[in-house]
Amino acid sequence: MQRRYRTVPDLKQNESALTLAFTDPTLAGKLTAMGVLPGVRIELVRPAPFGEAYYVKVDGVRLALREEEAASILLEA
Amino acid sequence: MKEARGKVPKIALIGNPNSGKSTVFNQLTGLRQKTGNFPGVTVEVKEGRLRFPSGAEALLIDLPGTYSLHPTSSDEKIVTTVLTNPKDDFYPDALVYVADVTHLEKHLLLFTQLLDLGLPMLMALNMADTAAEAGIKVNTGKLAERFGVPVVSISGRTGENIQKLLLDLEKLLNGDGHHRRSTSAFYPLREVEKQVADAAQLNVATGSPYHALLLAHHHAWLPFLQKQERETLAAIVQTKDFQSLRVQVDETLDRFDRFTPIVRQTVSQPSVEPTTFTDRIDTILTHRWFGPLIFFGVMLLVFMAIFFGYDITGGWVESGIGVMIDAIGVGLRENWFTDLLTKGVLPGLQGILVFVPQIALLFLLITILEEVGYMARAVFIFDKTMRRFGMNGRSIVALIGGGACAVPAIMGTRTISNWKERLITVMVTPFISCSARIPVYLVLIPVALPHSSWWTKSLVFGGMYFFGLLAALGAAYTFKKLLRTSDPSYLALELPVYRMPHWKNVWLTVWEKVKAFISGAGKIILYISVVLWILGNTGPSGALENAEAQVKATATAEMSQDSLDDLVAAKRLEASFAGMVGKSIEPLIAPLGYDWKIGIALLSSFAAREVFNGTMYTIYSLESVGRVEEEEAANQRPFERYSRLRRQMRDDTFRDGRPVYTLATGISLLVFYALAMQCMSTLAVVRRETGSWKWPLFQFFFMSGLAYLCAWVAFTVLSR
Repeated sequence: MQRRYRTVPDLKQNESALTLAFTDPTLAGKLTAMGVLPGVRIELVRPAPFGEAYYVKVDGVRLALREEEAASILLEA
Repeated sequence: MKEARGKVPKIALIGNPNSGKSTVFNQLTGLRQKTGNFPGVTVEVKEGRLRFPSGAEALLIDLPGTYSLHPTSSDEKIVTTVLTNPKDDFYPDALVYVADVTHLEKHLLLFTQLLDLGLPMLMALNMADTAAEAGIKVNTGKLAERFGVPVVSISGRTGENIQKLLLDLEKLLNGDGHHRRSTSAFYPLREVEKQVADAAQLNVATGSPYHALLLAHHHAWLPFLQKQERETLAAIVQTKDFQSLRVQVDETLDRFDRFTPIVRQTVSQPSVEPTTFTDRIDTILTHRWFGPLIFFGVMLLVFMAIFFGYDITGGWVESGIGVMIDAIGVGLRENWFTDLLTKGVLPGLQGILVFVPQIALLFLLITILEEVGYMARAVFIFDKTMRRFGMNGRSIVALIGGGACAVPAIMGTRTISNWKERLITVMVTPFISCSARIPVYLVLIPVALPHSSWWTKSLVFGGMYFFGLLAALGAAYTFKKLLRTSDPSYLALELPVYRMPHWKNVWLTVWEKVKAFISGAGKIILYISVVLWILGNTGPSGALENAEAQVKATATAEMSQDSLDDLVAAKRLEASFAGMVGKSIEPLIAPLGYDWKIGIALLSSFAAREVFNGTMYTIYSLESVGRVEEEEAANQRPFERYSRLRRQMRDDTFRDGRPVYTLATGISLLVFYALAMQCMSTLAVVRRETGSWKWPLFQFFFMSGLAYLCAWVAFTVLSR
């Protein structure tokens, strides 16, 4: 049975977790280049007012991620 | 310039977005900069002159900000294209890498990629002032030693150490800087990368192994590769089973693993990060309810500033040029050339200049919002909404800019990585009511609603903006359903910390936008105004003279010279080629409630909307009145302007005695002007940005067709 990992949209507001891996190679290229690496702490600051995007913080850098970008980041349990 | 370029060394400024690169560029070049185009592609490049303390000069090229040499948007692709092609016009002799020292560990990926490319490079650690405040200390000597490049700590904002940067840069160019890098690469290629790079180096002439690797990764789109080279590289990638995307990610992670310890050894940061000023502001500005509310409030303020700004400055420009036209008219002998000058070229010029103050004002406000860091939040808030309509959060900036002028707004869409989203943004931005529509609305609204209160008229005026926005979103939605793309689409956007705008950046950006408008839109408006003058002043042989003679023969003694001249002008226009065309299209526009006079105005408006008013004055024999009324406009309330023209329009009738201007005709015209593609400059910019005439032609027929249809519906419904 496949275990479902938590991803960034599963975080509660102001909750943070360590990143584990990415599900999509194209998005992984973009995200890693911006410093979202496996093993860093990512915090969900707040969802976008109309939804489908997230304001996150990684190592003091603030990023806006779209739903599928955020959902491509697998988190440690 | 072209020849000089060969001798002067070229230096490229490079770095991540938000590294403060443009501030450094402005510090180094000031006003000695211009915007050009990367040949063959539709991305703009800023270049400027740089003077070393020794007096020698160099050309500084500002490359678009990017995180990696593995690009994801057309902006970023430029960087890889230029730096992997030594034959490129912009291929630099040296690089200045700008990094934000407050987040150095996030700014070194691109830097180490460039190290492996092997170009002489200097690292400028920017934002030294902020770093000092935050208690961040950097051992630049050690950093320079570890990377093997000169490192200078600077501040683009305060100008700190800019002179030292120049000194070190000149040394680097002369080869006697401390550029003593060993030949070993920062990132040793893995086995599969090495195999691919070796094969690529054997078959396609390349520099370093990393250079060869980049060609292999990006052979599919790199524009300078020959067909044969592309095929060879494709074959190599195929036979080695090279998984480009995965290899790119592995390379990125490996590089981070290698430089992160170096950053730890050379940069000391206070360990705890406090809740900052930026976080506190963002709890309000990106708040569920307050966020969107504040955005709309800000936009309302921006548009009020534009409108009242236009009100004041538009009048100044009008009367200034009016005085100039009169002076020239008096000073020169009366002949066709003077006429072309005072009735063709100068009013054309006026048509351009009258918009400069408000375009400058709008871009001033947008640039401030951008510099402060607010625009990135707007993009974040509206990404979902924009995506519903096939666009990208970044489109919101273009749509706002379209409220001033579609030309620079469309040029600003280059940050959108997805071709479809960018195309849709380009296609619908001209629906947003631009400043050129304001004078037309101000004439037409009181004509359509002569007895309504000021409030009703203002409401209709605001409604026109809403209508334009609605049309833009509707069209965008339709395109979304029709167009297909396989391009990936990203939001992934850095939200910069809030800071005071750097005023030098602001002024230079505004100056650049205004220049883009004047040279992009201005030239075309000027050409068109000359063509229109020719059409309006020539006709079948003898027709104009006949018309003039007829007027003079029937003129009565009590007519003043001015009104006689005006009548002559009107009759000449009617007899001219322009008049003939206007009359011949009357059957086509009759269903919309228009007569041949409006036909002429429509024709001339296809060059630029604002020509409408001037043409109407001439047609109604009010040419001389028009000049006076344009000047008076500055001191009048918006809907009280152009009163003689409006009276004349209201009194006009069709041949069967029905009034031309009813509520139905007025609204039909308003709808037409809101929707029709009546701007040559926009079409020219769209051609440049999309690379072919296909899209601007489509846009022209689509928008004008929609305008015709909606105007017809409005007229038919209202004239019942």
